[in-house]
Amino acid sequence: MNKDELLKNVNEIFIDVLDDETILLDYSTTASDVEDWDSLTHIQLVVAVEKKIKVKFTSKEIQSWNNVGEMLDCILSK
Amino acid sequence: MIFQKGSVFTESFKISDEIYLDFSRVFKDFNPLHMNSEFAMKKGFKEKVMHGNILNGFLSYFIGECLPIKDVIIHSQSINYKNPVYLNEEVVLISTINDFYESVKTVEFKFRFTNKNNSITFARGNFQIGLI
Repeated sequence: MNKDELLKNVNEIFIDVLDDETILLDYSTTASDVEDWDSLTHIQLVVAVEKKIKVKFTSKEIQSWNNVGEMLDCILSK
Repeated sequence: MIFQKGSVFTESFKISDEIYLDFSRVFKDFNPLHMNSEFAMKKGFKEKVMHGNILNGFLSYFIGECLPIKDVIIHSQSINYKNPVYLNEEVVLISTINDFYESVKTVEFKFRFTNKNNSITFARGNFQIGLI
């Protein structure tokens, strides 16, 4: 899976978890760009990504991400 | 690690008169299915049916008081009811860790409420807790 395909998959996960069909992520998207992406929904998003993409993150990894693109890079590195 | 995938925790409960009556009074749910045995039998049940959400109360107690640590908060839970529970019935909660997400300190459990012989499933579902 390349980065663009992964972005589409992660976008679908965000739409599902946040129940918002209008979400359109790009590599530079951050939590402040997405309504309802707060500290609590962040947990649900990470859990959903781990479950659906079948990856496991460490707390250190998720703390290092500055935007969606860095999350995707982390997934692709595994 | 306290919480490992596959670990099983169990706890037994009994729906006593006190629990049943207090639940009805506190939440003001006096639906005849719960209060009137004759009504319940006409609807095909053996006797008056206990409120399904009493099981959620047991689940709350289990998460808050029975797990190995108290530093927990419920993120989500869902339950599907399979069979009615009657007054004074003993129910056993069997809860299994489905997954652990170290990244966000979150534990996902699946659970079943059964009778004490494990031959009838009253309800099943899952819940997710955060370690705080």
